Amino acid sequence: MEPSKEPTEAPVKTRPAPRPVPARFLVSKRTLHFDRFMTSAIVFGGLGIVVAVFGIFGFILSQIIPLFGKAHIRKAAEIPMAYQEGGVLGLDEWSELPFFYDGGSEIAFYPMSGTGEAAEPRKESVGLPEGAVVSAYRYDAVSQTLIVGTADGRAGLVKIGYSAAEVDGKRAVSAKVESQPFLPLNEATPAPVRAIDYKDSGDRKLFAVIQGDGAGARVGVVTLRQQRSLLGKGTVKVEGYADLTDQLDGSQPVDILAAGTADSLIVRTEANELFYLFLSGDQWTVRQRFTPFEGTGETVAGLGYLFGDVSLVVYSTGGRVRIYSLFIKEGEKARTFGLTKELHPLRDGITHYFASQRNKSFLVANDHEVALCYATTESVRKTMELPFRAGSLAMDAKAEHAGFIDREAGRLHLFEIDDPHPEAGWRAFFAEIWYEGFAKPKYEWQSTSGTDDFEPKLSLTPLIIGSLKGTLYAMLFAVPIAVLAAIYVSQFMHPDVKRLVKPLMEIMASLPSVVLGFLAALWLAPLIEARVPSVLTIIVLIPVVAALIGYAWSHTPVSFRNRMPMGGEYLILIPAVLAAGWIGWNLGPAVERQLFVATMPGGERIADFRLWWPQFSGLPYDQRNCLVVGFMMGFAVIPVIFTIAEDALSNVPPSIISASEALGASRWQVVRTVVLPIAAAGIFSALMIGLGRAVGETMIVVMATGNTPVMDEMGRLLFGEAGIGNGQFPIADHWNLFNGMRTLSANIAVELPEAAVGSTHYRSLFLGALVLFLMTFVLNTVAEVLRQRLREKFKIV
Amino acid sequence: MSQEVQATAASTRPRRAKGEVQVWLTAVGLSTGLIMIIGLLGLILWNGITVFWPKPVVEFALREADGKTTAVAGEVVKTRLRPADDGSAGKEEIQIFTGNKDAYGLAFRFIDGEAVTGRTEPRDLILAERMEYGDSLFYPIGLDLADGSRVEVADEKFDETFSQLVREAGERRREILHIEKKQIGRLNERIRSEEMAIRRLERSGGGDPAPHQAAIEAAQKEYEALAAEARRLRAEQESNILRYRLASGEERTQKLGDFVHYYRPNDLSWFGRLGVFSYHFFEFITGEPREANTEGGIFPAIFGTFVMTILMAVMVSPLGVIAAIYLREYAAQGLMVRIVRICVNNLAGVPSIVFGVFGLGFFVYGVGSFIDGGTKTPMPAVAWWLSGLAFIVNAVAAIVLAMNYGGSNPNLPKPNAVIRFLKPFTAVCAVLFGIATLVFNPYFDGFYSESLPTPTFGTGGILWASLTLALMTLPVVIVATEEALAAVPRGVREAALACGASKWQMIQRVVLPSALPGVMTGVILAMARGAGEVAPLMITGVVKLAPSLPIDLSAPFIHAERKFMHLGFHIYDLGFQSPDSEGAKPMVFATTLFLILLVVVMNLTAIRIRTQLKKKYQASAF
Repeated sequence: MEPSKEPTEAPVKTRPAPRPVPARFLVSKRTLHFDRFMTSAIVFGGLGIVVAVFGIFGFILSQIIPLFGKAHIRKAAEIPMAYQEGGVLGLDEWSELPFFYDGGSEIAFYPMSGTGEAAEPRKESVGLPEGAVVSAYRYDAVSQTLIVGTADGRAGLVKIGYSAAEVDGKRAVSAKVESQPFLPLNEATPAPVRAIDYKDSGDRKLFAVIQGDGAGARVGVVTLRQQRSLLGKGTVKVEGYADLTDQLDGSQPVDILAAGTADSLIVRTEANELFYLFLSGDQWTVRQRFTPFEGTGETVAGLGYLFGDVSLVVYSTGGRVRIYSLFIKEGEKARTFGLTKELHPLRDGITHYFASQRNKSFLVANDHEVALCYATTESVRKTMELPFRAGSLAMDAKAEHAGFIDREAGRLHLFEIDDPHPEAGWRAFFAEIWYEGFAKPKYEWQSTSGTDDFEPKLSLTPLIIGSLKGTLYAMLFAVPIAVLAAIYVSQFMHPDVKRLVKPLMEIMASLPSVVLGFLAALWLAPLIEARVPSVLTIIVLIPVVAALIGYAWSHTPVSFRNRMPMGGEYLILIPAVLAAGWIGWNLGPAVERQLFVATMPGGERIADFRLWWPQFSGLPYDQRNCLVVGFMMGFAVIPVIFTIAEDALSNVPPSIISASEALGASRWQVVRTVVLPIAAAGIFSALMIGLGRAVGETMIVVMATGNTPVMDEMGRLLFGEAGIGNGQFPIADHWNLFNGMRTLSANIAVELPEAAVGSTHYRSLFLGALVLFLMTFVLNTVAEVLRQRLREKFKIV
Repeated sequence: MSQEVQATAASTRPRRAKGEVQVWLTAVGLSTGLIMIIGLLGLILWNGITVFWPKPVVEFALREADGKTTAVAGEVVKTRLRPADDGSAGKEEIQIFTGNKDAYGLAFRFIDGEAVTGRTEPRDLILAERMEYGDSLFYPIGLDLADGSRVEVADEKFDETFSQLVREAGERRREILHIEKKQIGRLNERIRSEEMAIRRLERSGGGDPAPHQAAIEAAQKEYEALAAEARRLRAEQESNILRYRLASGEERTQKLGDFVHYYRPNDLSWFGRLGVFSYHFFEFITGEPREANTEGGIFPAIFGTFVMTILMAVMVSPLGVIAAIYLREYAAQGLMVRIVRICVNNLAGVPSIVFGVFGLGFFVYGVGSFIDGGTKTPMPAVAWWLSGLAFIVNAVAAIVLAMNYGGSNPNLPKPNAVIRFLKPFTAVCAVLFGIATLVFNPYFDGFYSESLPTPTFGTGGILWASLTLALMTLPVVIVATEEALAAVPRGVREAALACGASKWQMIQRVVLPSALPGVMTGVILAMARGAGEVAPLMITGVVKLAPSLPIDLSAPFIHAERKFMHLGFHIYDLGFQSPDSEGAKPMVFATTLFLILLVVVMNLTAIRIRTQLKKKYQASAF
């Protein structure tokens, strides 16, 4: 085109300058409108798409934020309610029909009208025997039972059965009071009941009572038996009475608590000491005695079990709460209480305690302030001043409402508790937590379990370490191979062959990871399970063989060496590596016989790596272990690292290479002193990207570590043995090469479909995804920035 | 040694180049890598292909511990040395596939190499595929036909009768399937929709449900007729019986309706084997899975993968292209765009499971539940109308402003500050009000509220899965399109502008067509990545066995809410969830081979397009 322009230019100069004809430059209105519209549309659309893509981050964040939210307590309703000092308040599941019991012969139910007006309470008899006076009572909210003891030494149970029916589209809650006949506790010496508790574990039912006053107070346990008949359940009869007063060493009992398993008791004495009594066989013995607030100058104000009856919450006159959990201490055989947590929720002495029936949270209060606490994370979720003087308090079964009685005005104040994720928080996700039943604080992930009173363990630390562990072994395996191969391909290989090798590697990069996972699990794991020594031998043998060949080759005559085309080393090495692999494979058993001999308990010596490893290191050995994962994940990572590292190495300007060659450097010297330093940043960014890929790899881990149950004869269920399920292993052996693991990504893939929408578990998994997102995003950004720097430095596209 | 050194002194190469050992060590990296890759592909190729190839069946004579001799027939799977307890190589063991899971309990067994006293390959042994209990290996004895007559194996017409009966059974089976799945399925669909109509009437409180009830009754009648027909066919399937003998001597009978296909593995010519191979292969590609996916074909999985990938490509392409055009052609190339570009690049490295989590949370539980049952937090009616009005006003304003101000023509006067502010403002407002109007609509109760709490769109499905994958592969398309746009020579653009084209015209008619192959490369790469991805699908709608395909002949033809099967998940499921993973291994290998072929072919295509592009532009670049 250009040459044709020039001749026309010359005559133009001679003529008078042409005036532009405006009409020629007019563009049709439609085109202009359309162009303007498309400009706006594309700018808007393009920005919108970019924003939407990053909205993923925002959305995941929005799912996580509630986890770190505070608890809210709001006033919901208020009704008048006659208050009597020491009475108990009970709430139904919906907090619509609270009751109050003041130790009289009737229970008063107050319908929540919602308007705050006085409604006539409905009174129900507790079925007291004639002439009996109630001297002690306790309301067990879990079984919805009022336990009543009388002054003439009798005890009875009053079941309060709430039920809801739909009437005209509205819920109508009704209560049914069902009292069982009162039974004499100790017919020989009837004494007034001072404290009472009752527990039913199914096969054993017992009353735990303190009878009598002052120095004459006696602690007793009454076991009951239900007669079974053909027609169903029969009447309940007293089976036996055990007097435990002697066990207390002369201390005076004040309060008594029975555990839900009906085989242990806690007795509080006047000396602020707790006695833990346990039923073994048919003998009650003191298993432990301890003084909860020893040395603090505070005294025990009361105590109660947490939901699940494994932890004991003891609160003091100084506003302090100490939680004692049952666990097996080092060197002991039986579970005893140990101090695991301490909180200081209130300024003044605590007078009331109420445990949630849904999770490990509890309310503590005195007459002017209240605190909602969560035991697992040792946190005070919310403290609140009460604008009245509170007498009794209660929480409903769903832990959604709390009721307080204004003792002066005689009004019930109903508060709404909004604390959907008490078990979450920074501490829960990243710190060591002393869970119930554990001998020490641990990092632990166990989100679900079969039982209701289960304490969710949501530490992400083991998962992050699992991810890093798999990544570490994959990188250990992949980096040498990928980087060495990249150096060789970019610097020493013939360009024609290079054009073949590169696409091969690129195709490898797109191999679906589910394929690699399947091969890892069904082919590789059984293959190398019994041949770990062979694998180790091969790993050692291959570089040694290559070095030997290289050394020998460089000592052969040049005339012989010249026969090999430039960059043909790999042609010789492929058979050599295969041979080394074969030799190593078959040499393995011999190596095993020499090095890995385990001594069995019987004294016999067996050459088996699988037995030797646990003996040698004290760490477990699993069939689907990190060796398998590392190898297969390495497979996924090698092409990624190779491609990027090779690009970086190839882009080193040839002029620099030629210059150093001209100065007489050997080809290795060129690589070592010139190419590698220049391309170092590029290789580093390749490693970062490889790391990012390995960290997020899901399917290989899910399949190769046996994250899912496999029921064939070869597979073993590793979930739980992976060092996180049952918490038997400290954090150090999360790095064991020969056991499995659970990674963030695999954990999400396995657990998310089962997690209930909006639950803490669900949101915690989102948090895991966010951590994963941030980890890979940071790694990739570092890599990308490095690469761009490198590109600018050498002005390569 | 010194003599050698002298002899080579004249050579141009250095005598003893430094660092040769290191060079060899780098070469070992490549060799190991190549061996691993080729080994892996070879392993899959070999195991995948030999699945379909008929192997000879060997009858072993075994000497039992009590001195008796028994016989067992099977395909040899592998021979291995079982290591003894002390670690030394122990006895030889042969693993054979005996089939006849119904008779033996297991389809595989190990036999002691030392106990084998004889091996024969009997020519009259039959291998038959059955509907249940996997394959069977047997010697036929005779047929008991429905009319009471018997055909013994010695009879000339035994073979003819047997093969004809098996063929007829196959046809009948297809007929039953057609009735039960297609016709009855359609009836069920009709009944369900009528029931939904009744429920809708009940909810709205008006209307007469009688015609709907009548329709249901009619459908019930039709159903009974069809069910009777199916019962009749099933009875026919059971009328002919084959008597046969196992290698162990046990005699058994089986209804002919249970047989799918049979052949004599030891009596096949090479072409015969090829025939069996093609039959198996064809069955595998086109058949439905049977027996917890361990037998039969993978057609639904292929179809599911295909539909999902296409849906994904359809969604990802326009989005990726628009974003790339913006980033490359319209955005001011500065720090901001560079940061965005790096971030987009990095998104490609974000683990797929993260996108899966987003897909589940946003698409399934968010958008899906909204489609099903409408919003849970409606705004007051007045606010909604106002918001709708605001949306319309803003949208109209945005469009008018966009068409009259700005654009790419530098000769036009720049719009003033107010308009420059109003343009994006109205657009953003339009979007926000539009979303609010849509999402908090108090009049919208969802399209499928009558079938709640059973979710329709509020559970995993092919639409959500492909949307999730589209998001995941968006960076791939954006990056590839940007590269392709950047590769369009400046001269071509300037020529187009010089001819009087507007910027959009230039992009539309010149830049985009020449960048099209690059865009295609990106889309194909995205499809390859999407086709092989499993983790995000596991939580957004893939299932081990989908009752129906996502596209079929019943209205509305494309069922975007349906769950689907996927090749990758099929591999995962077969290898890990199936009760008999040893028996499933061949199927897994075959599926793996198919998936890898799919991905590799897509990648190769993309690489080819890319190299051709490079060549083209290397020649024309200036």
